[in-house]
Amino acid sequence: MKQFLLIIGSRMLQLVIMVLVLSLITFLLMKITPGDPIRTMLKVDDMAATKADEEQLMQEYKFDRPILEQYGEWVIGVLQLDLGESLISKRPVLDLILEKLPATLSLSIGGLVVLFIIAVPMGMLGAIYEGRWPDYLSRWTALTGASIPSFWLGLMLIYVFSLQLNLLPVMGKATLAHFILPSVTLGVAMAPLYIRLLRERLIATLQSSYIEAAKARGLRKNRIIFSHALRGSLIPLVTMFGLSIGSLLGGVTVIEILFSWPGMGELIVNAVMERDYPVIQGYILIIGFLVVLSNLVVDFMYIIINPQLNNGKESM
Amino acid sequence: MSNSLLTVNNLTIESRSGELLLKGIDMEIEKGEMAALIGESGSGKSLTARAILGILPEEMTVEGQILYKGQDLVKLSRNEHYQLLGKEIGIIFQDYRGSFTPYIKIGKQLIETIRTHQSISKKAAKEAALLALAETGLDPKRVYHSYPFQLSGGQVQRAAISMTLALKPNILICDEVTTALDLMNGEKVLKYIDKARKETDCAVLMITHDLAQAYKWSDRIHVMYEGVIVEDGPTEQIRFHHQHPYTKKLCSSLLSLPEERQASTTEGVYSL
Amino acid sequence: MKTAVIRTSLSLGNVNLVLGLLLAVFIMVVTLIGGALVPHDPFLVDMGNRLQDSSATHWLGTDQLGRDILARIVYGAKLTIGLGTFAIVVAILIGVPVGLISGYIGGKVDAILMRIVDGILSFPDFILAIAIAGILGPNLTNLLIAIVLVRWIVYARVVRGLVLTEKQKEYVLVSQTANSSSLKTIRMHILPQVIPDIIVMAAIDVGKVILLVSSFSYIGLGAQPPIPEWGAMLNDGRSYFQVKPLLMVYPGIAIMLTVLCFNLLGDGLKSQFDIRRGRGRI
Repeated sequence: MKQFLLIIGSRMLQLVIMVLVLSLITFLLMKITPGDPIRTMLKVDDMAATKADEEQLMQEYKFDRPILEQYGEWVIGVLQLDLGESLISKRPVLDLILEKLPATLSLSIGGLVVLFIIAVPMGMLGAIYEGRWPDYLSRWTALTGASIPSFWLGLMLIYVFSLQLNLLPVMGKATLAHFILPSVTLGVAMAPLYIRLLRERLIATLQSSYIEAAKARGLRKNRIIFSHALRGSLIPLVTMFGLSIGSLLGGVTVIEILFSWPGMGELIVNAVMERDYPVIQGYILIIGFLVVLSNLVVDFMYIIINPQLNNGKESM
Repeated sequence: MSNSLLTVNNLTIESRSGELLLKGIDMEIEKGEMAALIGESGSGKSLTARAILGILPEEMTVEGQILYKGQDLVKLSRNEHYQLLGKEIGIIFQDYRGSFTPYIKIGKQLIETIRTHQSISKKAAKEAALLALAETGLDPKRVYHSYPFQLSGGQVQRAAISMTLALKPNILICDEVTTALDLMNGEKVLKYIDKARKETDCAVLMITHDLAQAYKWSDRIHVMYEGVIVEDGPTEQIRFHHQHPYTKKLCSSLLSLPEERQASTTEGVYSL
Repeated sequence: MKTAVIRTSLSLGNVNLVLGLLLAVFIMVVTLIGGALVPHDPFLVDMGNRLQDSSATHWLGTDQLGRDILARIVYGAKLTIGLGTFAIVVAILIGVPVGLISGYIGGKVDAILMRIVDGILSFPDFILAIAIAGILGPNLTNLLIAIVLVRWIVYARVVRGLVLTEKQKEYVLVSQTANSSSLKTIRMHILPQVIPDIIVMAAIDVGKVILLVSSFSYIGLGAQPPIPEWGAMLNDGRSYFQVKPLLMVYPGIAIMLTVLCFNLLGDGLKSQFDIRRGRGRI
């Protein structure tokens, strides 16, 4: 139990450091950028901008105050779960993000399923047939996969399956069929890293003495691979996965734009285009929170998969 | 001859780079016999064991004969050879930590192993597993529900022996089983192996670099040196009437020849 | 067992290196000689020649504004590879010294610094780049600034880790006790050990940057039209996808081959260095 509290504590620390540093950086960057948000707003509102309008808005949004004061206010707001409101739509940032979050998460889960379906067999193929043609197939898939831009892969999939074969829908997320192309694109884009990692880990595991012992006991080959070797090799995979939730959330952005998927990616890209700073700030905060949360989940899963750590004993 | 369970004829192993690792060894192990294969590390002892088990790395080429029950193991396909493991030929490794998969409970691994070789119910397998653990003087219930890392080295090694013996193999290969253990635990482990041998009449091939241990437990000693068996014979003969210069060197490195290994001298003196 | 394993990885590593070099030569030939052979202006709009198929004058045809696709691809290659390499070189020039110093000096400052760095690194770089590029304004220069801002940290982190390992080794200790200056120890003993890892990382990173830049340009946060960056070209051509799919194929293949080239080089060099150092396979 003490161990769990310790993990939670250190992750909270990570969250605080990360959010403070990142938000401070973004805050400072905003202040030194030439593009003044007030001008953008005035332009967007399509008014005849007068000096007076500008000053009024400056006061309304407190842009005339010192940076640190603004920053401090933002931090206090965050502590009260208030992320400010969008400069464009005037709606609370938290609402905007939470509205889009489910779409992004569901697409991420779809991508994960595809990732699993691709990476586990490919990685296993590479390890079990090390040095023979399935291994080369696995390694080349990983290498080529890592070189294809995900959005281009998505475009090609759209061309073949939607435009030519007319099998799958392209835009939006109305039905389950809408999930297929974005999920496949996302899964394929993420797979190479995991194929390589699983292959390497599994090769190392298969050479370990406990696998030799299992062989010497005459256990069936499939049993050795699936219930003895695979489990040991999945541990680093789970860790890696938890650590790359962030890049998953980043990678999903491009795919959301490509497929007009109404998720957080769309939100942030629009916010960037319109220089909607509170949304950008809030988005960074939420992503940071999600990253730390997933790291925490991984910490716990790690303990569950690997009973050894549970006991606080570190032999082997 | 008729009693021979395992006969090794002119066994040669060559690495891919053409290096001769075993240079034509001959060996015979009889039913119920405790045979010791002794030599320094790198002399080819473990290689011999792995050749008998058929778990050599693929790039090594094996020539010669390993006759087990009239069947030449060298000629068997990997799969056919594999069928013999556990049930016919068992092995206990030096590295006791590697005997069990670290994240599966020992009981589960025992059941898995037993049920691979015997088609019995889970319940019956559990009973057999508990019985086997008790045979080596372990607390069966506790060990059954433990992960390997929760036990001491000696306990894990004894659990590994229980698992191997539960299958009642005809030959048991013990590859330096006491090296990683302290003196007391090592003795205990050998005692159980010897007991099992007497009860089930299985042959034991004890691989060791510890001459005193070989003197104490074995019926016959094969002395191995640089991939060749330089001398073999009944333990008494090797001990008192050895011929080969290497054996002579080996024996003279034992300063004294105590009957009881537990004598106060340190382990280092016995080990080569 | 071990020997066989090393041998297979060695041969595959060499294959990768050779393929990577071949690909690099191919890309260089296309960009340098191909560009000279087909002297079209990548920016020249010619509405009378829109969406042409391949021909003797326009080898890969023309795009929706009648611009020569090959010329644009070649221009894009110079731009993309140049910018990617530039960004990584700058990141290395900042990150490596910081990592060397932080790792060499060690102590509390180092510990606190690394804690902060870890905090930032656990944040997705893609999103950090979106945020930075977004705040500074979406264009190619700001994107590069964002990339450098994120990547130098990675190099500092890795180099610091390597320095800490190297520091424990005997020859460094000897050199330290022999009263060599710190700077000399770093230069003579630590730097040479760190350089191979940096080269491998850099090769793979340039590929990553190219992917990132093209992704950003595709979603409109990177290169803006009419710059013939490959991702921007794909974004431009989207509406003509159905009319002329090849318009979308060429830039994609260009990205893929270029990134593959860097990945192959990185992979091949890694095996090469590992073998030379007797590390075997990683």
